[in-house]
Amino acid sequence: MDAERLTRYLSSKMPQAADLRVVDLRRIAGGASRETYSFDIEWTENGERRSRPLIARRDPTGGLLKSEREREFKVLAAMHRAGLKVPEPLFVELDCAVMDRPFFIMHRLPGRVSPGAFAPDEPEHLRAKVADDFLTELAKLQAVDYREHGLQWLGEPRDPWEPARAQTAHWHDIYQRDRMGEHYPVMSAAFAWLDANPVATDRITLVHGDYRSGNYLYDERGIIAMLDWEMAHLGDPIEDLGWASMRFWGREEIAAGLMEREAFLRLYETKTGSRIDRERLFFYQVLGNAKMAVICLTGIRDFIEGRTPDAVMPQLVLLLPRLFDDLAAQLKLV
Amino acid sequence: MLRPTPMELLAGLARTVHQTLLPELQSPYAQAQASSMIAVLMFAMAAADRTRDYDLAEVKDLRRTLSTLASRSANDGSDVAAAIARGVRAASGAPVDRREMEAAIADLASSLALKRLERGRARTVRAYLRRHLARMRELLGNASPSQASQAGSK
Repeated sequence: MDAERLTRYLSSKMPQAADLRVVDLRRIAGGASRETYSFDIEWTENGERRSRPLIARRDPTGGLLKSEREREFKVLAAMHRAGLKVPEPLFVELDCAVMDRPFFIMHRLPGRVSPGAFAPDEPEHLRAKVADDFLTELAKLQAVDYREHGLQWLGEPRDPWEPARAQTAHWHDIYQRDRMGEHYPVMSAAFAWLDANPVATDRITLVHGDYRSGNYLYDERGIIAMLDWEMAHLGDPIEDLGWASMRFWGREEIAAGLMEREAFLRLYETKTGSRIDRERLFFYQVLGNAKMAVICLTGIRDFIEGRTPDAVMPQLVLLLPRLFDDLAAQLKLV
Repeated sequence: MLRPTPMELLAGLARTVHQTLLPELQSPYAQAQASSMIAVLMFAMAAADRTRDYDLAEVKDLRRTLSTLASRSANDGSDVAAAIARGVRAASGAPVDRREMEAAIADLASSLALKRLERGRARTVRAYLRRHLARMRELLGNASPSQASQAGSK
């Protein structure tokens, strides 16, 4: 992504902005499924010099997920309108002539990210605040009327079993595509079990699809914004809870590195005013481990076959033993 | 032994990235990529030593497990019998067809998850999976997302 083309693009999108300049454009780590760039813009409007911090996210040449370009932008826009803590999305561009690959631009918010579970050396009061915010935002997300926000295009499930079946089929297909001919017995067992034991949801909501520790910005005030909405879809709200509370994203019994798992689940019940169906939760935790293993295999394959040069991808192999161990324990395979 | 060995080359490349490339990089993103390269090179060096042992142990265990399963008479369904027969055929070839043996074990692990295996066979498949996962941990470690991320940033 180069500053000159970006300047031309933003000038065309902001005709009121005179003498627009892109400043301090740099690629930043994170968001491995898209290239992420940080920069500021400065411009003159009504005789006044202004500036704004921005983020551009561009589709990679390869990468972890084959997501639709518009999906994240449109969902982000709906969530911003609904009052969730998300960065304000500004422009989306699907024309590859502009910047080689589709991209979108959003406001850049302050804050930091934990790479995995919430950092254990953060102060206790902040951990408690982030835990509360994390589940408050999840409850807000699940209370959004997706029809009111015009999100039916994400694909409304036709029956209560469809969310579980569709997600299982989706990730099983990707597994078959990206396992590169290898047979992972635990993965075969997991998908056989998921196929045979679909769960029925009691309601359809928007599902973030990657709601977890590591996908939010926070600072001393708590959570600033939930990020990475590219896997959003309509489905079972317990899917996000199952994913967020997986042992993989936490530390042993500390869900997401935030709080003891049972207390975490009770707080979710308090925030949403609903009882968790433990059978559904278990299903989505099994699906979550299988899904994460598939995401790792996809990244490894893309690296090996040259679709992405990102040196983080081959390291994903190091995550497989923990995921397989968790699946084996869940399904009583050992 | 032909010098340099592949291990010596990998170690040298890791030093080059660490000592000459990394200090010259201004961009934090490029620095993170270089750190990831070093982590991958270190992993490749460690794994290169252990991969052969892992492969030998895996093939030996697959053959032994499939042979044990075939020796147990049980009435747990034609699909189970077919998977065992497929695995035994693959194990008795010269050379053995490892991928076919793994495919057979994957089918049997699915039957285990669906509780379609007779108790004795279930015990045998579970024992194999325990050993298989232990070998995998020995080869790849047991990193959490935070630990894997730290390995890349060192």
